[in-house]
Amino acid sequence: MAESVPEDLLRELAPQVLGALVRRYGHFDTAEDAVQEALLAAAQQWPEQGFPDNPKAWLITVASRRLTDLLRSEQARQRREDTVAQWVLPDDWLTPPADRPVEAGDDTLILLFLCCHPSLSAASQIALTLRAVGGLTTTEIARAFLVPEATMTRRITRAKKSVKDAGARFSLPPDRDERLDAVLKVIYLIFNEGYASTAGPSLQRVELAAEGIRLARMVHALLPDDSEVTGLLALMLLTDARRPARTGPAGELIPMAEQDRTRWLQPSIAEGVDLITDALPRGPVGPYQLQAAIAAVHDEAASWTDTDWPQIVALYEVLLQLSDNPMVALNHAVAVAMAEGPTRGLELLGQIETDDRIAKDHRLHAVRAHLLEMSGDPTGARTAYELAATLTTSLPQQRYLNTKAANTT
Amino acid sequence: MKYMILTYASQQDYDGMGGKDTGKPAWTEQDFAAMGAFMEKFNSDLAESGELVETRGLAAPVLTRRLGSKEGASVVTDGPYAETQEVLAGYWVVECDSFDRATEIAARLGETPAPEHVRATAYADIRPIMESREDMVG
Repeated sequence: MAESVPEDLLRELAPQVLGALVRRYGHFDTAEDAVQEALLAAAQQWPEQGFPDNPKAWLITVASRRLTDLLRSEQARQRREDTVAQWVLPDDWLTPPADRPVEAGDDTLILLFLCCHPSLSAASQIALTLRAVGGLTTTEIARAFLVPEATMTRRITRAKKSVKDAGARFSLPPDRDERLDAVLKVIYLIFNEGYASTAGPSLQRVELAAEGIRLARMVHALLPDDSEVTGLLALMLLTDARRPARTGPAGELIPMAEQDRTRWLQPSIAEGVDLITDALPRGPVGPYQLQAAIAAVHDEAASWTDTDWPQIVALYEVLLQLSDNPMVALNHAVAVAMAEGPTRGLELLGQIETDDRIAKDHRLHAVRAHLLEMSGDPTGARTAYELAATLTTSLPQQRYLNTKAANTT
Repeated sequence: MKYMILTYASQQDYDGMGGKDTGKPAWTEQDFAAMGAFMEKFNSDLAESGELVETRGLAAPVLTRRLGSKEGASVVTDGPYAETQEVLAGYWVVECDSFDRATEIAARLGETPAPEHVRATAYADIRPIMESREDMVG
């Protein structure tokens, strides 16, 4: 009886196999193709011929053979074109001394740095990360981002070429901290694309959110002492915990204030709270930890009004010092309004409104509408809700905002 | 052969779908949910039969930017359409055996659940797509 190959196993091994191959032979771009073919071969052959004793070694062997074939045909082609074949010798790659065993984890980390290379656009970084580290096929990635497969194939091929042209080496980069920031940003973008999908009829595309969490877990396992990595994982878990309560039966958006908190995922909250409680005192404190701490305060509150708003205000104030982000300023204004009253919140909004980055964002106008409603100005609130509704492209959000406008009297 | 099926709506229609009372009554929550469920089924059936190439819905006309030129310089106009002007709202590209089959597919759109006043005036166009460079420049 054929047993299907657990997808998790293959996807977990994918970056390790690719790392081993690139470390040994170089040729990141071709090796990546070879690994995808080896994964495909495993998915087809293992159920029929039985599982190998050492799946990772099997994959490395098959992928190496495939890589050799690919490089040979590439070399033959180059010879035909009368150019000198540019083999990259293993010595050309910076490798650790022979007496130090290579950790598979280091390889995965280096792969992440390559995929999030600064020469790539965010869209390319995301696509390449999902394929080379996440082990997803191009078809799956194309489907997740609602683009034709040919477009995604080209995006990934170009990304690999850019990494190659930029002369990236298979070693930990010297500007490691800066590059780690880029990796975390890409993982957070993947999560958000799934959580707050802006395209398509349904509000959430769960698979990408789960993939973001999986990648964050992977990096956390490799760098358990990095407090920002821990913070990012906690932030995602604490946000994702609210997923079941975030949309209604007809797919409509339900804001946090009105969500049924009994539907929040308690195991995710518990894990997120543990992670952030452990990370914060260790420091240094960064934006992901602060956002996770804010999410934790929300997740532990019995209701919107019972929330510890002064603490949230304080956390946003630290966050504002770290980053000049208008969305953070907007959330800060909401927290202040909840802690000190709508008038104070509206004053803060007045300072944000002139910021071009957010002036035409529906969220700014939705917040103003809400604060005007709280302050007893229904006419102003209705106008602001209606304006917010015209500024969003999402129909569920439009319906929510127009309903609020109609009910504000 | 590929065909494009096009549907049209005005800003007023979009507002109604977005839950806003304008000249016409707004869609109720049930109307909106039924339409969503129908479209999901319609699209998955087309994908299942292998005839769907691509489908997209366009955001409200008010969010349109028109790029034109005035005295040799580029000019951008925000929201160029009148409130009641019907403009492209969404499309499907299907690949099927005949113009009649494409028409049959589009006809199913006529069953889309929607408020009566919307159903009464809704229509779709079906247009053959030029397949190659030869179709365009000979």
